[in-house]
Parts: sequence; C-alpha cells; structure tokens
Amino acid sequence: MKLKEVDRTAMQAWSPAQNHPIYLATGTSAQQLDATFSTNASLEIFELDLSDPSLDMKSCATFSSSHRYHKLIWGPYKTDSKGEVSGVLIAGGENGNIILYDPSKIIAGDKEVVIAQNEKHTGPVRALDVNIFQTNLVASGANESEIYIWDLNNFATPMTPGAKTQPPEDISCIAWNRQVQHILASASPSGRATVWDLRKNEPIIKVSDHSNRMHCSGLAWHPDIATQMVLASEDDRLPVVQMWDLRFASSPLRVLENHARGILAIAWSMADPELLLSCGKDAKILCSNPNTGEVLYELPTNTQWCFDIQWCPRNPAVLSAASFDGRISVYSIMGGSADGLRQKQVDKLSSSFGNLDPFGTGQPLPPLQIPQQATPRSPGLPLKKPPKWIRRPVGASFSFGGKLVTFENIRIQPLQGAEQQQQYHVFVSQVVTEKEFLRRSDQLQQVVQSQGFISYCQKKIDASQTEFEKNVWSFLKVNFEDNSRGKYLELLGYRKEDLGKKHIKEEKQESEFLPPAAGTFNISISGDIDGLITQALLTGNFESAVDLCLHDNRMADAIILAIAGGQELLAQTQKKYFAKSQSKITRLITAVVMKNWKEIVESCDLKNWREALAAVLTYAKPDEFSALCDLLGTRLESEGDSLLQTQACLCYICAGNVEKLVACWTKAQDGSHPLSLQDLIEKVVILRKAVQLTQAMDANTVGVLLAEKMSQYANLLAAQGSIAAALAFLPDNTNQPNIVQLRERLCRAQGEPMPGHESPKTPYEKQQLPKGRPGPVAGHPQMPRVHTQQYYPQGENPPPPGFLLRENVTPSTAAQQPTPPGHMHTQGLPYPQPQPYQPAQQYSFGAGGSAAYRPQQPVAPPSSAYPNNPYLSPASSYPGQSQLYAAQHQASLPAPSPTASFPPPPSSGASFQHGGPGAPPSSSAYALPPGTTGTLPAGSELPASQRTGPQNGWNDPPALNRVPKKKKMPENFMPPIPITAPIMNLLGDPQSQMLQQQPSAPAPPSSQPSLPQPHLPGGQPFHSIQQPLGPAVPPPFSKPNIEGAPGAPIGNTFQHVQSLPTEKITKKPIPDEHLILKTTFEDLIQRCLSSATDPQTKRKLDDASKRLEVLYDKLREQTLSPTIASGLHNIARSIETRNYSEGLTIHTHIVSTSNFSETSAFMPVLKVVLTQAKKLGV
Amino acid sequence: MGNMVSVINTVDTSHEDMIHDAQMDYYGTRLATCSSDRSVKIFDVRNGGQILIADLRGHEGPVWQVAWAHPMYGNILASCSYDRKVIIWKEENGTWEKTHEHSGHDSSVNSVCWAPHDYGLILACGSSDGAISLLTYTGEGQWEVKKINNAHAIGCNAVSWAPAVVPGSLIDQPSGQKPSYIKKFASGGCDNLIRLWKEEEDGQWKEEQKLEAHSDWVRDVAWAPSIGLPTSTIASCSQDGRVFIWTCDDASGNTWSPKLLHKFSDVVWHVSWSITANILAVSGGDNKVTLWKESVDGQWVCISDVNKGQGSVSASVAEGQQNEQ
Repeated sequence: MKLKEVDRTAMQAWSPAQNHPIYLATGTSAQQLDATFSTNASLEIFELDLSDPSLDMKSCATFSSSHRYHKLIWGPYKTDSKGEVSGVLIAGGENGNIILYDPSKIIAGDKEVVIAQNEKHTGPVRALDVNIFQTNLVASGANESEIYIWDLNNFATPMTPGAKTQPPEDISCIAWNRQVQHILASASPSGRATVWDLRKNEPIIKVSDHSNRMHCSGLAWHPDIATQMVLASEDDRLPVVQMWDLRFASSPLRVLENHARGILAIAWSMADPELLLSCGKDAKILCSNPNTGEVLYELPTNTQWCFDIQWCPRNPAVLSAASFDGRISVYSIMGGSADGLRQKQVDKLSSSFGNLDPFGTGQPLPPLQIPQQATPRSPGLPLKKPPKWIRRPVGASFSFGGKLVTFENIRIQPLQGAEQQQQYHVFVSQVVTEKEFLRRSDQLQQVVQSQGFISYCQKKIDASQTEFEKNVWSFLKVNFEDNSRGKYLELLGYRKEDLGKKHIKEEKQESEFLPPAAGTFNISISGDIDGLITQALLTGNFESAVDLCLHDNRMADAIILAIAGGQELLAQTQKKYFAKSQSKITRLITAVVMKNWKEIVESCDLKNWREALAAVLTYAKPDEFSALCDLLGTRLESEGDSLLQTQACLCYICAGNVEKLVACWTKAQDGSHPLSLQDLIEKVVILRKAVQLTQAMDANTVGVLLAEKMSQYANLLAAQGSIAAALAFLPDNTNQPNIVQLRERLCRAQGEPMPGHESPKTPYEKQQLPKGRPGPVAGHPQMPRVHTQQYYPQGENPPPPGFLLRENVTPSTAAQQPTPPGHMHTQGLPYPQPQPYQPAQQYSFGAGGSAAYRPQQPVAPPSSAYPNNPYLSPASSYPGQSQLYAAQHQASLPAPSPTASFPPPPSSGASFQHGGPGAPPSSSAYALPPGTTGTLPAGSELPASQRTGPQNGWNDPPALNRVPKKKKMPENFMPPIPITAPIMNLLGDPQSQMLQQQPSAPAPPSSQPSLPQPHLPGGQPFHSIQQPLGPAVPPPFSKPNIEGAPGAPIGNTFQHVQSLPTEKITKKPIPDEHLILKTTFEDLIQRCLSSATDPQTKRKLDDASKRLEVLYDKLREQTLSPTIASGLHNIARSIETRNYSEGLTIHTHIVSTSNFSETSAFMPVLKVVLTQAKKLGV
Repeated sequence: MGNMVSVINTVDTSHEDMIHDAQMDYYGTRLATCSSDRSVKIFDVRNGGQILIADLRGHEGPVWQVAWAHPMYGNILASCSYDRKVIIWKEENGTWEKTHEHSGHDSSVNSVCWAPHDYGLILACGSSDGAISLLTYTGEGQWEVKKINNAHAIGCNAVSWAPAVVPGSLIDQPSGQKPSYIKKFASGGCDNLIRLWKEEEDGQWKEEQKLEAHSDWVRDVAWAPSIGLPTSTIASCSQDGRVFIWTCDDASGNTWSPKLLHKFSDVVWHVSWSITANILAVSGGDNKVTLWKESVDGQWVCISDVNKGQGSVSASVAEGQQNEQ
C-alpha cells in the first residue's frame, strides 16, 4: 500500500534508525534529466508523518545545491551539530566529489550546510556505504576501480582497501559486511564482485559466475550470516539476483529469477533477513525471500521503472522507491487499502481543472467515475510470509488466581544437517508478592476459626501504633466481653464503679431525706402563696396548685403535686419546668426525662461526642442504641473535623454497623494498598463476628460497601494464589452480585470439576432458570438491546445464558421486573446492582434484640419496587427508627438549637440503671434535682429504663454472648423484602415512614395464618415505655403483652395505622407427641421463676415464657423439621434429668446444624431459660 | 524477595512453530495457545495437568492472539491471524467449532480483545491495514461490524478495552436504572501512538485522545482493570524499548500523563496487568519477563525477573535493570 509520494526525480536516503521522527532526504538525481531539462538541483528533507492520512509528504527543508547526485546516504555518525536531527548526509556527485551535509542545519534553514567535501574520485561516485560498526567509516566507489575508505573525523585523506582491481572498471556498488566490521564488498557492471579485508588491506575473494552477463546493479550482505551476500544484475538477458556464500564461492548458492528484465536496485531488510526488495526494468517491485527464492509480495506500482529502492531503517514495514517518472513513493509492505492514493488523484484532477468546468463550456463535468469500481478493493495482498517484526516471540499474561502464563520461543540457530527439534512450552507460574499481607490474613483466619477474638484484639491493642488504632481495637475487644456497654463507658472515661459509689451516697442522702415527717402540721389557708396552694389542694385543684408553685418557682413542689395530679398534669408540668429552667444541663435533663436521646445525639457539641456516646451507652434502649450510635457517628463524620471524623468509627463499632465502619474507615485511609485493606478487613471481620455473637443474626447482612471491600480483599487473596482463603473470607450469605460472582469464580478456579459436556454453570446462567416460577426473570438490565435472539438457533442445546435472557428482557424493563422474592437464583445478579447506599440497613446490626429472634420469614409484597434488593431483614431495621420517631413526636420538645452545647452526661443517669433515684452530689453542676428523678413513676412503679436498660435487658449482648451461630446460611435462605428508602429521610416524616412500613409489615405469611403475635414481637412495650408521660396509665409490671419483649420493631402507632389483625385467632392444638416440650419448658420456667430473686431474672423468664410461643406455634403448625424437633425432645429429656449442661450442648448442636431462619426465633430464648435454670440450680 | 514466581505447570503445547499467545480463561483453568503453525489449541490445565481439549484449525496463516469471552456467553474464544481473518470459536456439546469468521481486514489482524461483558459480546480487532473493527453480536449468529479506518497508519498492533466503569461511583447510581456505561478502548500502532476511542451516543466510534510518548511502534497497550479507584491507568510498550504507565485522574478522562516505567534495551512486546491491577508483567524481545510494581512513592520497581525454565527469581538482575534506568 502506498503511503506517501513526492514528485521528484531524486536519490533518496532515510534518516538513521535512531532518528525520530523519520525523515527522508532526496537529492536531485544525476542520472536522468526531468522533462524540463532543468539543471537545477536541490537537497530536500521530508518528514514521514503517518498520522496524516494524505499522500503528501511534509517538506521540512530545501537546500538549493549546485550538485546532482548519483548516490545519497544518511549515516548515523554524530557530528558536533545540535538539534533533533542526527547524523550526516553523504552524497556522491557527478564529478568525483563526495559532499557531507549536516541535515540538522538543512532543516534549520542554515546557509552553511556542507560539513566537508572532497573531489578525490575521478568520475561519478555511484557507490557509498557506512560501516554500521564504526559509523565514521564510509566506503565510496567510482570509476577506474576507485574505492576509498573515508574517516569522517579525518575527511581529507581517504584510505584504500587495497590495490585497485584490474582491469579498471566502474564500481557500481559497495557494501560493508553486516557481521564483520573490516569486511567490505564491491561490485561492478562487469559482473564481478570483490570482497576486501581491511585488516589485510587486500581483496580476499572475487565472486563471479563467469557468464559475463552479470551486470551488477546491486550488492547486499546478508543481515545475519556473515558469509552470504546477494548480487543483482541489470542485464536484461540475465535479470537475476544471485545469492552467494563465500564458503562456496564457485557458484551462486541460489539464483532468483523473478524479474523479466534487468534489475536496477535491491535492498535487504535489516529487520527480517527473509525480505529482499528488488526493482527492475520490468517496472516491478518485488519482495522475495532470498533464502528460498520465493516472491512474497509484489508491490502495486505504476508502469515506470524504479532506479532506487530503500527500506526505512526505523520503520521496518516502510520502503521508498524512486522511479524514472519523477516520483518517489513510500509504501508499506503490510498491505492495506489505497484509499488515500485515489483521493489524492481526485484532488489533483479537480484542482487542475478547477471548478470542474475547465474549458468554460458552462457545463460542469459529470461526476468522476474513476478506478473506484474498476479496482474494487484491490489492496496489495500482504506478504505471503509474515515479517519477523510482527511475530511476537514472547509474552506473559496474568490470569485469575495470581497465575502468570508465559511462553518463549528461543531461537535455535538451525544447524546444517542437524534438524533440531524445538519444543514449544507454555509455563504457568504462581506469583506471590504480598507475603506480609498473606501472613496477616492467615492469622486472621486462624483467629476466626479458633474464636480467640479477645486475645487477638489485645494483641492488636498492644501493637497499635496510634492512639486511635488502639481505641478502635479496644472498642472491638469490648464486644467480646461481658457487660460491653459498661466497658465502652470505661473506654470513654466513665467508670461504672465510680458512678456506683456516687449513687450509694446519693441514696443514703435520699433515705435521710425521705422518711415522712412525723407529727402534726398546720394547714394554712392564708392569702400568701402557701395559702393559695393550700386552698387549691383542698379543693383538689392540682392544676392551680401546680401553677402556683411554678409561679413561685417552687419546682419540686410543683412536680410532686403534678404527680399526684396525674400523668397529663405531670407532663405539662415537666414541659413548663423545662421551658422555665435555663440551667446549662436542662437539655440533658430534658433528654433524660423525655428519653429523647436523639436530641442529645443530634444537637450536642461534637467536642462532647464522648459524653454523648456515654449517655447513649448508659440510657439507650437496645433497639435504639445502635441507631443512636450511628447517628452520632454520622454527625461526626459529616460535621466534625478530620480528627473527629475518624472517631466516628468508634461509634459505628458500638453500633455494630459494619457497613458504616467500612465507609468511615475507607474515607480516612488509603485503601489501595493490600496492607491497609488488611487493616480494615481485620476490624470488619472482628466486628462482624462480634455482631454475630451478640445479636445472633444480621451479621450476615452485607452492604454494598462491605461487599465491595470484601470482594476486593478476596480478590487480593486470590491474586496471591490463596483461593481457599479468599473463599473463606468471602461472606457466604449475601446476594451482593460482586460477591456471588467472585465466589463462583473462586470455586471454579479451585478446580471444581469441569462441566464436561454440559453447558457451564455460572451465576449468570442461574438467571435463566426460572425454577417454575412464572413471569420474566430480572436479568441484566444493562444488557444491550441488540441481543434479543437466541445465540445458536440451530443448536439443540439451550443457548448460552446471556443470550437467552435477553430474549425477554429489554434493558428498559429489566430493572422493573419483579423477581419472585426469596428466590435465591434470581438474586444472584452478576452485575453490581446499583443500590443507593441505604443507611437503613445499618440498623440491622443494632442491638435491638427482638429482631434477632424474629424468624426470617419471606414476605412477598407484590408492590415492592426493589425485588432484587439483597438486604436482609428490613424489619429489623425499624425498631430504632420508629422509636426515634415516636420519641420525637411524643415528646413535643422545642426544636433543639443545633449549636447548643451539650454538657457531659450526668452521673445521675446511672440511677436509672440501678433503679435508685437521685443525683450524685459530687458533680453538682450536672446533678438533677433530687426530687425530679426520685419522684418519677418510672423510678419506682415502672422501672422502664431499668428493665430495658442496656446492662440488664434480657437481650443484653453479654447475656446472649455465646449464642452459637451457624456459620453458613442455608441455601434456601430467603431474605425478606428490602428497605426501600434511606431511613434518614424518614425520621421526621411519619407519612413516608408508614409508607415504607407498609410493604415490610410482617404480615403473617399464609402458611402460618394463626400467628398473630410472633410477627410483632413485643410491639407494644417500648411504645408504652416511650410514653411514660402520655395519657395512658403506666402499664402494670406484670402485664405480659407489654412486658419484657425488647426490640420491638414496630410501635403501636403503626399497628393501628395498618389495622393489623390483633385479635386472637384460635390456635390449633399442639400435637400430642410434642406437648411434652411445652409442658417441660413451661414447667422449667415456672421453677426458675419461683427460685429467682431479682426482678431482672424474673423479667427475663417471663419474657422467655412468652417468646417460646413462637416455638409452640411452630409445633402446632408442624413446621419444624424432624431433626430440630427431635433435638428439642432431647433437650426436654435433659431438663427432666436436670442436666442443663447437656441441654445446652444439645442446644448448641441444634443451632449449629440447623437452618438459621427456622430456629432463630426460639432457640436463643431456650438458651436463656436453660442458662438460668443451670444458674439457679432448679 | 524470596521465591515470588514459581512455575506450577509446564505445558508442552506440541505446536510446530512459534507460539505467539497463551491466555487462560476467566477461571484460570483452561489455557488457549496459538502459533505460527496456524493452529489454536485449548488445554485443561487444572491441578497442574495438561489435557488437550481442542486443536482448532481454520486459519491460513500464523495466529497472533487469542481472547476468551466472558463465560456468561458460553465458552467462546476469538483468534486473529496474519491471514487477515478473525475467527470466533465456540464450544458446543463439548466440541469446539468455528462459529464466525470475520474477514473484513486487508492485512494481518494483530490483536483481538473482548469488551467488558457488561456491554454484550463485542470484539475489537486491530489490523496492520490500519483499521480497527468492532464486531457486535446481534443474535441469530449475526455479527454487526463497525470499522474505524485509518486508526493507525500502517498498522494497529494492539487493542485493549477500558473496564466497565460507570461515570460517578457505583453508589450514586440510581437504582434500577440501566447504568450508563461509556465504552472506551485503547489502541496502539505503527504510528507510535496510543489512541483512545470512545463510542458516541449515535454509536459511532470517535477518537478521544492521542497519547504520544513513544518514538517507535507501540507494540502493546493494556488498560488496567478497575479496582474501584477513580484513576484510569494504561500501560504501553514499544519497539523503542520503553514502557509507559499512563494515568488519568480527572473526571472528564482527558488528561493523561505518562510515566516511564523503564527503558529496556530491546523491543518490548507485551504488557499485562494482574487482575488486581497492581503488578505489570512486561515481556521483552530478549525473551525476558519482568514484573513491576508501583512503590509507595509512586516509582515503578522491578520486583521480579521471571526465569521461565526454573521459575526462580534473580534479584540481582532486577536491581541491575533499575540501575539502568
């Protein structure tokens, strides 16, 4: 394919290989006058710009010369000139002159471009060559057998290679050997070639076929083999190229007879010794393999002879040919179409004829109908043999699992006669670059297996380089210890023991204060304020009495009276009190009394985040605890300075919110390095374990970010060849597409049997398995629409999954296709399902206990817009949220000023935990007025905060600390419907909250229609507790349906709104064979109750009794699997024998071997009962 | 440094001429090789074994490259050859067969690369005729061809797709919507350039960028896999012995800056990223494979010299090469 052309009748020389860009120098040829018979001559330099698609060559410089040239070469020898163009142009002239030009000066436009010249030769200098080993050495040949060797450093005095050959003859060609630097060859039209050894200074061999017809027009040494060379003949009677080997100099090794008429020039490719160009008077340019004689390529040329042909030294596919029609053409021998050429011709025509009406006929010429059809795509066929330079000899490619695939083709010099068989091998290597990373990962894996979390955390604490790192690990460690909240408080600088001591003092003071005064007292009804109050009291007008007290700033009196006046009055009074009170800690007190921790968390000064966290740790109910921690963390992250931002991590650890921890950590750390990812994953894995252990569920919920990080981590492990470890760390109970995909890839990489003759099993394929469910299956929404047909319609086998899918699913609709919920395979989306980050899911990690024991029932809301949402257990995410919502609205607090500073938490707060009222005297600034807390109903009759208090709640993490957790989620695990909107939007928006709850409301599945309660476990209690100031009478302590069930996911409010069935439905009887279970368990609970002394335990037991209803219901419905049922019977038997340890062992066995969702609702409860029984020794 | 690279399997391919490419499938369990002997072979190499699964004949010239399609489309392999053809092979009922032949090039087809699977089955082919063709499977055995003519004057040597990354982060993506991928690939050629191509909204391919640093043929380009970072990275190697790492941090994707990884003394034929994009394997004309990694301070360091025969590591050679730099 022709690339460029220049309209010159000229000799040509390419810039040396080193030079970039590539230049072509042309010097007016002495051989042929052009049509004008002009005697002007010039030396020009063109740039080969291949990015320019046009055929024109970019002219860089023109130097008007007084000489015409027989030969032009461009040597790489570096003269002292500067500039980007290197080397020296050496020209052979008509009158025995050799002229050295500086190409950089020519390009720069200098007038003085001649470095040197010498006219030592007689007659035209037709032969020139540069020694490639010593580029300062140039050989020249002219008439009369003259050969000179020029040293460019000493140009004045040339050397001779030896005595002139006789008889005198013209030297038409000269060439330095390509392998041995002191060997030179010359040839003449007479047909003889002479090889000179410059060390000996004499000709060493003469080559001639004695035909007298070899008129040497070309001579070239073999690029690789020192003893071989070719000679070309321009005699029409013998238009051949002879290949000679000097070792067998009697006759040519090979004769190439491919030209019909005399050959004018040859050029041997330095890049591929199998490519020899030749051009002749038959107007052909041929590329042949001189080693075989085969013609590999015939360049498409015009009919003109070419007298000079040159390979481009730098670009091995490029060559130039100068023809007698006054044109130098640049070709690629790699084929390709010649559109550019045609275009140039058309352009030329139209520019010559101008306006397509060259003769002024008034009629434009018809559109040009030129060769385009005549030569329909006749691109030069490429070389029959691929040139060496495109034969890639080496390669190394990475593949999955840190494997490197390499191959090599070490060339073995073919020895004559001995056929050496080369073997072609491919090597598969394992590349391991991250040893430290692997070591730590291995350590982590061992810890997970051995459950040695505490010591691991301790080691990490000890090894921590920074205070923050230490804190993080301390917080993580606490998760595995008893009384985690207390320990958290300690870490924050609040020791419970200290607080306890203060309380004791406080209580003492109170007891001194409390005993009612004996004796008589005077009832005054005077006109002063006392009198007025007395009057009001006497008439039973509490309201007025309270008002009077308030007016008189007698706050304690007012509150006490308000208590007597009933809930409503108390609430009003409290409000008025708070409105009036201006003390610094009012807001804290407000929060404490109103139980509005959200207020604290939302509006505290972030410098006080520790205190806020402490308050939350102290007061917050389990179900709202994590939400509050989260909220605080979120604030720290978004509002705080960079230092505080990282502290948010601690809040997220408290909250057990893995996803947010990941987000926060990632923000603060450079996660790209394997070790920093390892840093994160260590924390994440430990936190997930903690959450798993303490909350018995939801730890498997994998958020988008976590999935991202975990798959990154697993990918890193895999990339180090640790495929098994990668599989071990990859969360196995998630539908996050990247994880599902990676798991599949890892499994297969591990060498799982090949599908053989079956079609491959991939997660992608799973999508096409509708599993008998009607309706289209959500596929790849991103799939291009084009793939709407079957891939291989002719095949008997099902088409590949990707194609089948798209038969039904167009990209626009795919995303909306509802997927049958809970259908595992449909959820294995291979694509990162674009999920808005949903803070809602954070609550699934919450300490809210009840959610942990909710059976994971698949809920199928047809209206769900997010069928593929992989998040688990949306229900579990509601408790915190609804609580917050309820609190906010019921408390009707004035809008908190966001800038208000928040005092450290009062130590008196602990009084709620301990059931004792009072404030610590030691910190008077923050002390509550003694009367206030002391007289709260919650303090005595309804110790709500005590009962639900974090330390003592029955679902308090430590109590359930060792609930064995089944590691693997069952295959058929069905996640419930997802959260459809970020929870944060809902906090202040009851409407959307209700909307949101609508689909997620755990409506009893049809299979279990008789279970009204278990699906709303303990819906009311927190609701009630939240409204201690509301109009309702405080619920009695023993009322079971409001008692004890923590972690209510949904408040009363919403139950009513949704008109869920709350009336009793007649239950089926428990089958006789299982009745023993109920009686045994209930009996055990009763026994425990009768021997338990502290109210906490009683409460736990009461609650357990109630919660075991779930189990009984399952027995009624006979939905329990036989193995679990028999396991339960075993437990019952061990209870009979009072062998509770055995019961616990069986329990552990059941939990660890059974379907998690099947047992999670009652097994933890049973464990509590067994543990209590063992403790109480009943 | 220890034994970083160890040969775990040596496959005797029984090819009768030079091997030009060897590629593992998605899982790393099957190996495809191609050779100047005009054949393509597929081996099962699980557990260090080597079972010849297929010996695919159909090309009439040396076969330069092979490329596995993502397994979600089945077992599909593309090969390109000096014979100007691209052949797509497919396993059906356990047998490998030619399923499509693309002969739209006028010269040697030097490189084939499948687009990220997210886009469907799209194959980019770079040819010595200077053109790049894009084959898109449209169903029913039909492939739609788009061609970029004169992509690289006198030849395209390599094509490499950008990973499928949605502009903006994955989190911001509105749920349930089709991600708006922007299809891009890089090509390198005999014009010494790397060119970046982008599919316009009308489906036409437009040159987006020209990356200029090499002073000789660009032998290979490799777009690094996405590892969730906003930076895009491309490695390129050239006849000039240089390997450049190009990075682009800006959102528009238009500012690329090159960093010289190393200047080798010989042509560099091939560059390949590890799956996690942190190691680059560089294959040079001296038959040497070296592994490179970016150090914390952003310098590229040779971490290993892969000595295939023994699989041992020569730290001294690695150091020597750094000193050369």
